Amino acid sequence: MNLKFGVRGAALLLVGVPALPALAHHSFAMFDNTRSVTLHGKVTAYQWTNPHSYLDIDADDGKGGTKHYTMEMTSPNMLHRGGWSSRTVKPGDVVTAVMSPLRDGQSGGLLLELTLPNGTKMLPGVPNAQRYKITS
Amino acid sequence: MREAILLAALSLATAASAADHPDFSGTWERYPPPNEKADPRYAPTPIPDPPLKPEFKVKWDSDQKKLQQRIEEGQPAGDNYVHCIPDGMPAMMMGMFPMEVFQRAEQINITQEAFNQTRRIYMNQPLPKWDTVDPSFYGQSVGHWEGDTLVVETTGVKDYVTFRWAPHSESMKITERISLLAPDYLKDEVTVEDDHLANPWTWAWTFRRMKDYKLQEYVCEDNREYVSEDGSQHLRIDK
Repeated sequence: MNLKFGVRGAALLLVGVPALPALAHHSFAMFDNTRSVTLHGKVTAYQWTNPHSYLDIDADDGKGGTKHYTMEMTSPNMLHRGGWSSRTVKPGDVVTAVMSPLRDGQSGGLLLELTLPNGTKMLPGVPNAQRYKITS
Repeated sequence: MREAILLAALSLATAASAADHPDFSGTWERYPPPNEKADPRYAPTPIPDPPLKPEFKVKWDSDQKKLQQRIEEGQPAGDNYVHCIPDGMPAMMMGMFPMEVFQRAEQINITQEAFNQTRRIYMNQPLPKWDTVDPSFYGQSVGHWEGDTLVVETTGVKDYVTFRWAPHSESMKITERISLLAPDYLKDEVTVEDDHLANPWTWAWTFRRMKDYKLQEYVCEDNREYVSEDGSQHLRIDK
């Protein structure tokens, strides 16, 4: 599947979501929106909280081991309007995540899309999502 | 006999007027939402810069320059949300998410989804003098009907709870004239009066009714973002 096309198609679906703010809780400046990183691994935590939800993954490091990543998502009310719930994903699920990495080098980022174990691709409704390049 | 007829007519009129008040109950989103062009019939009026007195305007102008620079750098503007703090008045009326109006004859509450913010408007009561109330984020609000328009007066907002970074005193008075432009469009004409302002600061918001939307809980319980000394934003991921 063409990743970029899939994202664009889903982003169009989000147009009907009410009251998506131009600026969210913060500026998202801490994430590098010029590139993305794709992670594959096991979910260790899915936190349904404000002001942001978080998804933690032990991702394959390509050397037979794993590396832990924390990904920020939007707020539960925005996620809910985009079709997510607190049970969309759970610890132990093997998923593929695409994120804009943190600029400061910590192992984390902003979640841009998530492929669930059943193959469903979920978008977390990042404001101005088109500004985040998917390069991975 | 004449008096009895007059009384009957009066009580009918009273009953009719109570029933005739427009019902604002329900869920509303600010209009126009992003990505939608406003119908000119319902378009809000722009919010002008606060008409500050010259002695306050100098600092406001210089702060605006810094703010613009922060925005251009993509850094947070340092508003309440960054610190997990709600808007307060009048900013909550343009909060990030939908709002819900609960209307009773004696009290009208408005809840903004962001931060579960609720303001309470007590009907047909005198506006307390600002220095007789404890300052708060939403202040003290009283309301009355003028025909089909709900007039709400608010005072006693904490002086550090600001809108558009405009300085004000706890004696600031916000007057809102809220009315239906159409069954599903609500207008809120706002006038802010304060001794920091050279003249009243006015604008209008429009809200559109949402069908079947239920407000969600918003408790700001885990703020992992912080701004470091150099002004850049970071995420605590070592949880």
